[in-house]
Amino acid sequence: MPRLVIAGLEACYGSLKVLDGIDLDVASGDVIGLIGPSGSGKSTILRSLVGLTPPTAGSVEIDGDNVDYKDAASVARLRDRLAIVFQQYNLFQNMSVLQNVMIAPTKIKKRPSAEVEEEARALLAKVGLGDKLDRYPDELSGGQQQRVAIARALALRPEILLLDEVTAALDPELVSEVLDTIRVLAREGMTMLIVSHEMGFIREVSREVVFMDAGRIVERGPPSRIFDAPTEPRTRDFVSKILRH
Amino acid sequence: MLDYTFQYGQIWPHLPRLLGGAVLSLELALLSFFGGLMLGTVGASILTFGGSAARKAVSAYVTFFTNTPQLVQIYFLYFALPDMGIILSSFTAVLLGMTLNAGAYLTEIQRAGFESRRQSEMEAAEVLGFSRGQQIRYVILPHVARVLFPPLSNQFILMTLGTSMAAVFGVEELTGQALNINSTTFRSLEIFSVTALIYIAITLMASALLAVAGSVLFRARMRIL
Ligand SMILES: Nc1ncnc2c1ncn2[C@@H]1O[C@H](COP(=O)(O)OP(=O)(O)O)[C@@H](O)[C@H]1O
Ligand SMILES: [Mg+2]
Repeated sequence: MPRLVIAGLEACYGSLKVLDGIDLDVASGDVIGLIGPSGSGKSTILRSLVGLTPPTAGSVEIDGDNVDYKDAASVARLRDRLAIVFQQYNLFQNMSVLQNVMIAPTKIKKRPSAEVEEEARALLAKVGLGDKLDRYPDELSGGQQQRVAIARALALRPEILLLDEVTAALDPELVSEVLDTIRVLAREGMTMLIVSHEMGFIREVSREVVFMDAGRIVERGPPSRIFDAPTEPRTRDFVSKILRH
Repeated sequence: MLDYTFQYGQIWPHLPRLLGGAVLSLELALLSFFGGLMLGTVGASILTFGGSAARKAVSAYVTFFTNTPQLVQIYFLYFALPDMGIILSSFTAVLLGMTLNAGAYLTEIQRAGFESRRQSEMEAAEVLGFSRGQQIRYVILPHVARVLFPPLSNQFILMTLGTSMAAVFGVEELTGQALNINSTTFRSLEIFSVTALIYIAITLMASALLAVAGSVLFRARMRIL
């Protein structure tokens, strides 16, 4: 059964329409890779889904519940189930690593602190940062910060994780530690929508790859087909360019 | 050369009264500063996130209190409010006046801090389910406290010195006590030089304490700043 059903999604920045009729189904345990040239609207899809750039048309359903982006309560329910990790990590600079992971479950969800701390420690150990609990974000490398951001997102036990170019701001030698973390999540059956320029990685983890350009989905299919035998000229062009370097 | 023999001997007996006055000055400064800090937090929140009517009201408040002399503001409270049936003791009138005045300045100072918030952190908080109030409390205010610690400390020192104005209304804080003692002993130079020294001691101690507090509270961050 599909978890997330997106139909006819549109989004605008001012008068500029940057998403034009996006349809996407994400089933439980699915990993979908979203690729496309810069400016094609990949980030905007994720931002629209979580209500940061509310859609101007179309519908979003999670497990049959229609999301009303004008209704704060509906958006709050949505954000209980969906988590997003950004390219720039966006950690809370005034909080330690452990506090970053604990704050939403304790202060926002009002869960007991002892229980949350145990979970947070386990999550941070899982992303390989069990020894950095008391560090502050500016004392960590980009790769470490990004893994904290992933742990922070997971601390709310989301059903679906949205990842927006989470390795794009990292030095090349730090990319693999973050990708390894995501691989583990994929193996555990986490439902994910992943935007990335790491084509090898997208090919490896995705069940389906979606190629978009200029606010529309141009082509979609299993990774082998999209990368080895794309049918649309724009996909072929993009894939050949990006695989060449 | 000054042809004057300082006779501090005559004022020593009055020292406890001066020190008592200093305590009251400090009380006035602390209460009005923290009251003003709270007003300023509300004011800056409204200026940053409020609707247009609320923003205009806060702007009017700030404009009024930062463009009229504090003395006039307190006179107004002291003499105008009784006409409306509100009787204030002189201490309360001064405290209220200083708090409202501080609230206006601290709104302005904090607004700058609110404006320097990191939008990306706010978005991360929003998506994690923080309400606007929770974003202010957990993300903006810690940031504001850190970046504005020096100007807020300065404001506190200025306000401590500003409490001497309370003497005009007969409040027996440090300056008020100095005036009292002066009117019975007439050793003006001695009294006011000692009074000045007490003010210096207070502000130096306050600066030192604030500096220590700042480095303890924000140690992790100071290193990179
Ligand atoms: N905050 C913004 N204001 C105005 N236009 C924006 C903003 N963010 C993105 N855009 C525009 O929206 C389009 C899609 O951007 P984006 O979703 O970020 O693309 P991608 O993530 O695929 O690179 C681009 O044309 C971009 O210039
Ligand atoms: Mg993007």
